[in-house]
Order: sequence, then C-alpha cells, then structure tokens
Amino acid sequence: MTRSIEATSHDTATHTTAASRTDEAEGGDSPFTLPELSRLDEALTMSSRETGLRFTLYMGDLGQRTRSRAEELHATSGGDPADSVLLAVSPGQRVVEVVTGHAAARRLPDRACALAVLSMTNSFAAGDLVGGIVNGLRQMSDQAGHPRGLTTH
Amino acid sequence: MSVVETILIFAVIPLAIVLLFALLTLVPGRAKKARYKPGQAWEHGPVWWEPHPLHGPAAGNHDDAPKALGSSVYQEPQALGSGHGSSAHGSSAHGSSVHGASAATSRPVPVPAGPLGGARGTW
Repeated sequence: MTRSIEATSHDTATHTTAASRTDEAEGGDSPFTLPELSRLDEALTMSSRETGLRFTLYMGDLGQRTRSRAEELHATSGGDPADSVLLAVSPGQRVVEVVTGHAAARRLPDRACALAVLSMTNSFAAGDLVGGIVNGLRQMSDQAGHPRGLTTH
Repeated sequence: MSVVETILIFAVIPLAIVLLFALLTLVPGRAKKARYKPGQAWEHGPVWWEPHPLHGPAAGNHDDAPKALGSSVYQEPQALGSGHGSSAHGSSAHGSSVHGASAATSRPVPVPAGPLGGARGTW
C-alpha cells in the first residue's frame, strides 16, 4: 500500500503550501548544497522578519541591461514592492544589483546598500557566494533596523 | 646507520606521506558540488528565493477558520472558490479553483514602487 503511493509521484502543493516531492529534491539544478540553502533561507527570513522589509534573492542571468532587468524583477517580486528589497546576483556576469522600493530606501539608503554590495563583492571574488550573500543581508538588515511597532511573532 | 635504514627513513617515509595525501585528495569519494570560481560560466537556471511568510501554513495560524486545503474536514476559505466546499461539491471543481488561484498568483503583475534606490557592484 505504502509502496504504491510512493511509486507514483504526487504534486502535493496547494497555493499556500510547498510541494513535498522528495524524489525531485536531490540531484536538481540547484547550485548550492542543502546546508548552504538553509543558510540562505534563514538569512532571508530572519532579515525580513527583523526589519519588516521584504528581502528577496534572485540568482541568475540578468541580461544585457542588468539594472533595468533587476528593476523589472523588483516590480514583480510580490508583496508590496515599495517595501521590498531585491538582491540580484548574476555570477556569470559578475554583477550584483540591489534594488530598494521607495519606502525601503528611506530606511536603507543607497550608501548602506553600496557598503553591503562592497562586502558582498569581496566575498564573491573569493568564490564564496553564500557567505557573501548572508553577510550582505545581515549588513542591510542591521542598517534598516527594527521599527518600533513591528511584531515579529 | 646502514644504507637500508637511510633509504627507509629519507625516501620511503616521505614517499608514504605524499602518497597518503594524494590518495586523500584524488580519491573520487563524496560527490561534491562544483564550487563557484569567479570567472567561470554560470550554467544554472535562474532561481528566486523569498522569505517565509510571517504566519505561514507550517507555523500554525490561529485564525478562526482553518486554512487547510484539500481536506474535506475543514471549511474552505472564502477567497478560494465561489462557495463553501462541502463534501458533495466534488473534487473536480475544488481542484480547478485551486489551480486557478495558483496560476493567478504564480505571475504577479508588475507594481511600480516609485523612485527606486539601491546599489550595483561587480567583481
């Protein structure tokens, strides 16, 4: 009984829950190992909860015009784009772009973004993608701070 | 110290140490992911990670109506379909409404966020 259930692969995702397909979890196209993925996941989630901003991380090619592509992605990043921060990394082109919405830019000025980008590019040049991203997220969330009225749990 | 002892100490022991390290590094043991090196091409498809929602389904939300979908025990949320999903509704209508919702949310409409800020860097 159990074997027949496991033999056929069900896509168990609803629109609020992720799929639990274990058969496709391994050997995928993911560029990172599972511990690295969990570090990224924790950094994204905790910096978003700490600041109330919505940090998302895009990793892939950004095309010829990287800045406008990153801004297009930021506009479709879900949630409220004014409050969201997109971190777009294109390792093939060796470009990192940080895009902040206008409400997020008030708490996370461009100078702070540039500083975080500088520390990220240092790590990327040494070949450490995940460490650079985690440190950059930490710098940006430290700069944005924790608003007074925000409840995180 | 005889010749044999000299050779054993000064040739065989260093050779053994070198061979040990060569074995440790060259044996195709654990399948490791290819580490990123700056300048190499990026063959992976684009990925977009987003943070977990504050009160996600796994974290346990304490609303009045349970949000468990796909279970006929719980009341279906209003926003999903046209009406309440009773057990006589049939699974096809329920499934289509869920698929429609997921197809609608999978491609969000672009929302301009005013004057954008940020930074750019290369390495």
